[in-house]
Amino acid sequence: MKGSPHLEIENLQAYFYASADRTFVRAVTGVDLCVMRGETLALIGESGSGKSVTALSALGLLKGDPGIVAGRICLHTDEGPRELLAGLDRCVTIERTPERPLSISKNGPAWDRQQKRNFVGVRGKEIAAIFQNPRTAFNPYLMVGEQIVENIRLHTPTKLYQEAYDQALYWLERVGLEPAAERFDNFPYGLSGGMCQRAMLAMTLAAEPALLIADEPTTGLDATLRTAILELLAELQRNLGFTLLMISHDLHVVRRLAQRVAVFYNGVIVERGPSLAMLSANDIPKHPYTQALLDAQPVRVSPKPRRLIALQGDVPSPIGEAAGCRFAPRCTHAKGINAKRCEHESPPFFQVSSDHQLACWLYTDSKEVSVRGVDA
Amino acid sequence: MKKPLLALVDVSKSHPRNAGMLSNWAARTTGRAALDRVSLTISPGEIVGLVGESGSGKTTTGRIIAKLTAPDAGTLWFDDQDVTHMPESEFRPLRQHIQMIFQDLDGALNPNMRVRSILAEMVALDPLGNKKESAETRIHSLARSVQFPLDKLDVTPRQLSGGEKRRVSIARALACKPKLVIADELTTALDLPIQAQIANLLLDLRDQLAVAFLFISHDLPLVEFVSDRIAVMYAGRVVESGPAFSIAHSPRHPYTRLLWNAHAGSVAKEELAATLVADIAQQGCAFAPRCPIFKAKGSPSRCTSTQSEPELKLVEVRHQVACHFPL
Repeated sequence: MKGSPHLEIENLQAYFYASADRTFVRAVTGVDLCVMRGETLALIGESGSGKSVTALSALGLLKGDPGIVAGRICLHTDEGPRELLAGLDRCVTIERTPERPLSISKNGPAWDRQQKRNFVGVRGKEIAAIFQNPRTAFNPYLMVGEQIVENIRLHTPTKLYQEAYDQALYWLERVGLEPAAERFDNFPYGLSGGMCQRAMLAMTLAAEPALLIADEPTTGLDATLRTAILELLAELQRNLGFTLLMISHDLHVVRRLAQRVAVFYNGVIVERGPSLAMLSANDIPKHPYTQALLDAQPVRVSPKPRRLIALQGDVPSPIGEAAGCRFAPRCTHAKGINAKRCEHESPPFFQVSSDHQLACWLYTDSKEVSVRGVDA
Repeated sequence: MKKPLLALVDVSKSHPRNAGMLSNWAARTTGRAALDRVSLTISPGEIVGLVGESGSGKTTTGRIIAKLTAPDAGTLWFDDQDVTHMPESEFRPLRQHIQMIFQDLDGALNPNMRVRSILAEMVALDPLGNKKESAETRIHSLARSVQFPLDKLDVTPRQLSGGEKRRVSIARALACKPKLVIADELTTALDLPIQAQIANLLLDLRDQLAVAFLFISHDLPLVEFVSDRIAVMYAGRVVESGPAFSIAHSPRHPYTRLLWNAHAGSVAKEELAATLVADIAQQGCAFAPRCPIFKAKGSPSRCTSTQSEPELKLVEVRHQVACHFPL
């Protein structure tokens, strides 16, 4: 089964209505992504670039109006492929007229009902998630162990309480929460941040999901705890063989855990490829934005402090419609002869090596792989 | 050596044990004081990094320096004056020289005020302010000094990005021309490029205005990058302090080594496993239960005895370590 696609996302588009500006905010506009079975894929990029929206879409947890408006998400399970956005096109109409450039109408209640049907037996069982703040993911009124038991009885063939209880103890031990019987009776507030994240991991993995989505799982933790949690996650993945889709700000974390990386910028993916090659300072071609991320990392080479190469400016506003390369206003290469093209034409993906694709006009010599889904 | 701007001498502070369900997890589980005889100096125009795990007392140290909480014991010197028990009325003129930038941006900036009024409020408070210079000019020069876009002065914090909010909070702290700024988790939750911009800004401000910073952070590479000196805290004590480069590249305390190795991902499995238990000793050296040297030396009684708790000792020029068996 290894090496086959596990989760396929095609041309995912999501918008939110900003009532203050009476316009639509772009969240993601045409994301294509394929997560292979058993691999670790990391999504990186600045906040607001669409990483979490993509992950939440795959979980069917994206809230907001209108939310997902187009695209296809296909999850390959043991029982066959599941189309998670089936029936979406019947609920959405997208119109463009010269007076109003973009108008989206979505039958929200109908889509919610449809989405519920699509996700029967998927969330928690096939795809599970751990989030940045485990305390909000637990019910503060229930003992941590009871919540693990509930998850086991809901999603696995184990239905008897006593059996589920034994399994819960096993998982608590597995993530290093010992003595397990004592931790079982802890309430979420009685655990420290790192312990709570472990308990979260125990609860999620107890349902034996095939795909785990980890949205910034270690952001609020100390360096030592962060390393411990990441080592644990890597070890569990080696032993259990689940697919991991992780979102992180921290390039160290990504380098250590992920085999492949997708770099998000302003609602689109600008680069996909192997993480070691992309996130190391060698002469492998990189998207200018990825290069800027690498340059911004604090590395001190001498005792005398210097300055970091900081990308100037802010992420462009996600309001209204975008034309051209989203990164052009901050890009040092979008000058001179390139400027016109970068500002007006959206770059397609160019294949620079077998599994490395870049959306940048600098690489026009390489083979074009696919035309990215144009806005709406 | 320059005369220090600020000196903490043997400052201790304990929190009441039942101050709240969620407060100070470490204190509730160990019974150790939040701060235990902490000594720290900051020279004018120096950036001192303060690192350590959550609950190690970093934020409490910052709050004591800003005189937001009073220490139980010890003295706080600022500008050659003992300010530990100085009444607020006397301390008032000094207060403008110690500013604090808080971690929680949304809690620190009034969401109903425009950026201009947030800054105007602080400019009006500045007793040293040039009376001829209008408030408007001051606000503009402040905004320029932190590279905040002038056309956004009339929006509310809600409409700003994280980086811009950060700049406003820095500008506000600088309005009264302080000598020392306490920056608590300044770059947490900011994206890499914005974090780099803020780090550069900090270094620029230090060079231009000769402001000293106490830079409290979890982000080890960043602390190493911006700081002149780093102090490492563990369980309410400073266990090592010295030049940033030596702390990061030739640490002498096993805990400092663990921190930096953990970040680089090169920690032995047993050492990491000990980290998870996160035991803090009740007496003697607090780090002993997690310490690889303690284990290697066959649990010497010096490390666990109440009589011989390790004190900060000079091991190199300006480099102090509190360990019986420094690396």
